[in-house]
Amino acid sequence: MRGSVAAVGASTMAAARDAGGIAVLALEVARSLVPPTLDGRELVRNLYKMGYRSLPIVTMTALFVGALMVIQFSSFVQQYGARGLVGWGTGYAVLREVGPLMIGLMFSGRVGANNAAELATMTVTDQIDGLQALSIDPIRYLIVPRVLAMMITLVVMTMVGDAVAILGVMLASQALLDIHPLTIWYSLVDNIGAADFLHGMGKALVFGTAIAVSSCYFGLTVKGGAIGVGRAVNAAVVSAAVSICFLDFLMTYLTS
Amino acid sequence: MRSAAGVRPEPIAEPMIELRGVWKGFGGRPVLAGLDLTVARGEVLFVVGTSGVGKSVTIKHLVGLLRIDAGEIWLDGRRIDALPERAYAEIRRRVAMVFQSATLFDAMTLAENVALPLRKHRGLRAAVALADARRRLEEVYLGDLADRFPAEVSDGVRKRAAIARALTLEPEVVLFDEPTTGLDPQNARRIDRLIRELADRRGVTAMVVSHDLASIFSTADRIALLYQGRVRACGTATEIRASADPVVVQFIHGHASGPMETPGF
Repeated sequence: MRGSVAAVGASTMAAARDAGGIAVLALEVARSLVPPTLDGRELVRNLYKMGYRSLPIVTMTALFVGALMVIQFSSFVQQYGARGLVGWGTGYAVLREVGPLMIGLMFSGRVGANNAAELATMTVTDQIDGLQALSIDPIRYLIVPRVLAMMITLVVMTMVGDAVAILGVMLASQALLDIHPLTIWYSLVDNIGAADFLHGMGKALVFGTAIAVSSCYFGLTVKGGAIGVGRAVNAAVVSAAVSICFLDFLMTYLTS
Repeated sequence: MRSAAGVRPEPIAEPMIELRGVWKGFGGRPVLAGLDLTVARGEVLFVVGTSGVGKSVTIKHLVGLLRIDAGEIWLDGRRIDALPERAYAEIRRRVAMVFQSATLFDAMTLAENVALPLRKHRGLRAAVALADARRRLEEVYLGDLADRFPAEVSDGVRKRAAIARALTLEPEVVLFDEPTTGLDPQNARRIDRLIRELADRRGVTAMVVSHDLASIFSTADRIALLYQGRVRACGTATEIRASADPVVVQFIHGHASGPMETPGF
């Protein structure tokens, strides 16, 4: 019993330490942006690596997400004959919730994990110390461009993903429910406003920040060689997933 | 030559680096226990000793990668151990460090690695910095390999590229952490020659952590043997060779048994 209590206590302390560490790193990143002395080459390199290379998987996933929503919707549509609501219902869900959430989780698994692994490897092979020894601030040079790149990329990816998911809705509606794509389109534009779109983009921005800062934190604080790198990646992905779900709930609750 | 634990170093006319009564521990275990060590300007000092005795720890303090628990560190007449992190930016431009693992950045070619500090500190444009980096790589006989990535070249090449990168800011002091470890004898001697040339031609002060006896005795102006957190013996190669201290004798002859206590054995 005492062992269990001690284990819970230790886990709680570790979680509190990590949360504090992530908050401190976020503040350091914010402080490093004043004045904004950014390494443009690093920013462009990260935008390409994180954004451009994520496009195929984002579009593929989003297309199927859109189609899946139509499949889930189809029984209600057929039961109540609510063909005109398919565009509104699926579009509302995609723009406000499913788009940012699904793409955020996928982005965390692909880009966040990769970022944590890369930084963790640099840490255990003394490359971060090497940067410091060259009088180059690792936060300004390495972390700030990565955080900005992830924030920008997730917002752009979410825009692209939303568009592709709606395309998936149109294609699946035509194929499964024989609803013309223009019916979906008019249902969408007549019922959904800029606020719904901005709500989703706000979430993408917040999720991108959470993924970026947590993956950088676990990458920089790794200990213990190759095993430590594995643990850092695992912790970064779990932390990002929990953060995304919690922040999603918070933002939805506060804006509903 | 001094050859007794805990004796303060003899005064040096023009000290570049001074460690005075330095203590450093990890997890409650002291690694450095009142270390006194002085390095003269333009000198090549080898810091030697068994694994885990605190050689790398000692030099990491000089660039602020570690902070001492007690004592004082002076660089060129200025106390630096209590400086805030931001103030170390200037120290690190004067004191370069070459790590045991070279620490070149995997995602960059050798030329891009060397160009990085030129871009960041000299404000050179990327193309100009790269051209300068290629010239510097040629100085260490790596001109042909400038466009290779670190993973594509040998340990010896990586270490020479790391030295070229460390020299980009024209430092007054260069710290080498086991520069010849893991290298074949030819590459090891090339590194020794580079270190010697730095001191002789450019007047750079070098502090070299090493286990490599051939390197130590061919390159050092003085040798400091660390033992139990302090300098056990310090002197020229001739003086160290002539030492009657059983700990020094065991170290330089590499005897498995003797009075020397080795962590982990």
